[in-house]
Amino acid sequence: MTDSATAKQDRPALGSAGDAPTFWGRLVGWGPYRLLMQLATASPRRQFLILMIFPVLWVLTQHLGPMLYMIRVSLTDAYPVAPGVEQSFTLEHYAKFFTNSIFWQPFFRTLTFAATFTFCTLIITYPVAYFLARHVSRRNQMRFLLLLLIPFWVGEIVRTYAIMILLGNTGAVNLALQTLGLVDRPIPFMYTSFSMGMGIVYLTALYMLLPLYSALEKLPQSMNEAAADLGAGAWTRFRRISLPLTIEGISSGCTLVFLISTGFYATPVLLGGPSTTVFAETIAGFFHVAGDEWPTGAAFATIMFMAALVITFAFQKLMNALRKGEAK
Amino acid sequence: MNDRPELFRGNRILLGCIYWAFVLYVFVPLILMVLMGFKDSRFIGFPIRSWTLDWYVGVFANTEVLSTFGYSIAIAVLSTLISVFVGTWIAVLLESRKFTGRPVIFGLTVLPALVPGIISAIAFRIYARWLGIEPGMGAIIWSHAVHNVPFVVLVVMARLSTLPKSQMEAARDLGADPLVAFVRITLPYLVPAILGASIFCLLLSFDDFVRSFFLGGYEPTLPVLIFAMLRSGMSPEINAIATVALIMTAGIGIWAERFTRRMKKDT
Repeated sequence: MTDSATAKQDRPALGSAGDAPTFWGRLVGWGPYRLLMQLATASPRRQFLILMIFPVLWVLTQHLGPMLYMIRVSLTDAYPVAPGVEQSFTLEHYAKFFTNSIFWQPFFRTLTFAATFTFCTLIITYPVAYFLARHVSRRNQMRFLLLLLIPFWVGEIVRTYAIMILLGNTGAVNLALQTLGLVDRPIPFMYTSFSMGMGIVYLTALYMLLPLYSALEKLPQSMNEAAADLGAGAWTRFRRISLPLTIEGISSGCTLVFLISTGFYATPVLLGGPSTTVFAETIAGFFHVAGDEWPTGAAFATIMFMAALVITFAFQKLMNALRKGEAK
Repeated sequence: MNDRPELFRGNRILLGCIYWAFVLYVFVPLILMVLMGFKDSRFIGFPIRSWTLDWYVGVFANTEVLSTFGYSIAIAVLSTLISVFVGTWIAVLLESRKFTGRPVIFGLTVLPALVPGIISAIAFRIYARWLGIEPGMGAIIWSHAVHNVPFVVLVVMARLSTLPKSQMEAARDLGADPLVAFVRITLPYLVPAILGASIFCLLLSFDDFVRSFFLGGYEPTLPVLIFAMLRSGMSPEINAIATVALIMTAGIGIWAERFTRRMKKDT
């Protein structure tokens, strides 16, 4: 790596006397540019500050700004402010959430669903990641992984539609079941929590698979062999070696999938039914109308964000504690 | 890889079956969706008895669909340019040296990637209004750009951490100032990472629904168009459009994967 990279630089040195100056040589020698650079790089400290200004401004105004402004709007009585009217701060939008079951039911449903689907994703992808990391030769690993990546480059909506076709009353699953004579009438999979779960697991599996894979890949094979030599069966080896040593991968995979699955909007709309309304749909409802409901929507989004943060934080703490417990 | 395969053969076969079942699980729905686009009937459902290309012909004679493709691609390209510029800059700062507040900057950098989709869309919607950005192309580009920055930062940082220090020192010794050294040494070294990150951003933006939905004006992006069509019922035209989108995204993804891996091998 270093060799070929150094070879690339076997060209006339920058600014060296005697050779015909390159573009860069001329630039470095050009007066105004030199003055500018001297000003900018007078001290390492100044150079660093100049490098720092833009990124700091960007993350504050573009990354943090929208979240803070959303919280601010959630505390105002009306948004946008009508001209001439004094804007006042209120907590009524948060109160609205706790006093009406139409609002908190979808909220708890979303959290339950997200946790359940995350767990399903973990159960489904763990053996796959295990196989990839432990039983496939290095040379083939990338190939096998790439095969799984292909469907995940396809967008959320297209994949949701694919699930609709798979599970519909005249879908592939029902056709297969009927042809085999297992059922007389099509099973109504669609517009239930089952179809929604199927869709969400389908959309998020990769975000679980990759952290698990990289955790499992680091696991030394010798430990498994030693355990096997000492008479540990497959289950014991998994429970005592692989599982504790991949807790980090499990924890980051679960966190990612949980956060992503609480945020889905289109998939629950298309795959779910009236009994599976999730909080994302509740929040979105406030934004389809002109604007006076925006503070409520912002408050609900804030509640959901805080809840998701608290849950993932608690989950990570728990996982860390588990890991330390195992290490003893 | 096992040094002693005989020890774990039973597991290996079982796990292999699970892997291939998983491959089926991720591929079959998409394959069925593609097949359905060639069915010679308006009715979406199995079995398929006769085949046709009519839906494709119909969809691509439709200038509205074509312009939606163009609109989505334009948004993806422009937002990617912004993300790559900003993301590379942030990555260079974060990898430059340890400084107080670095963990905070890093945390804020990855924040947009961790905010659940609907919440991020809502936050952008409100903020765009405050900034005076009208819903439409500009707003979508801006939200996609901000959302994709963390991915660029992570990829570029990983590559930067492997840059041999000696090269920068050599360039400085030969008279390059920090900016020239960056352009001549660091940037060429980062090219594979930047290309990889760009492709990833392009795909994220092209596939994004929730931000495009809440920040879009009257003109839909491709996922928003498919969503709107789906709300009024399944139809084979949707299959045709979705199949073309699928081939584009998967094709670009595979190409990029091979391309960036070859580039990494070269350097």
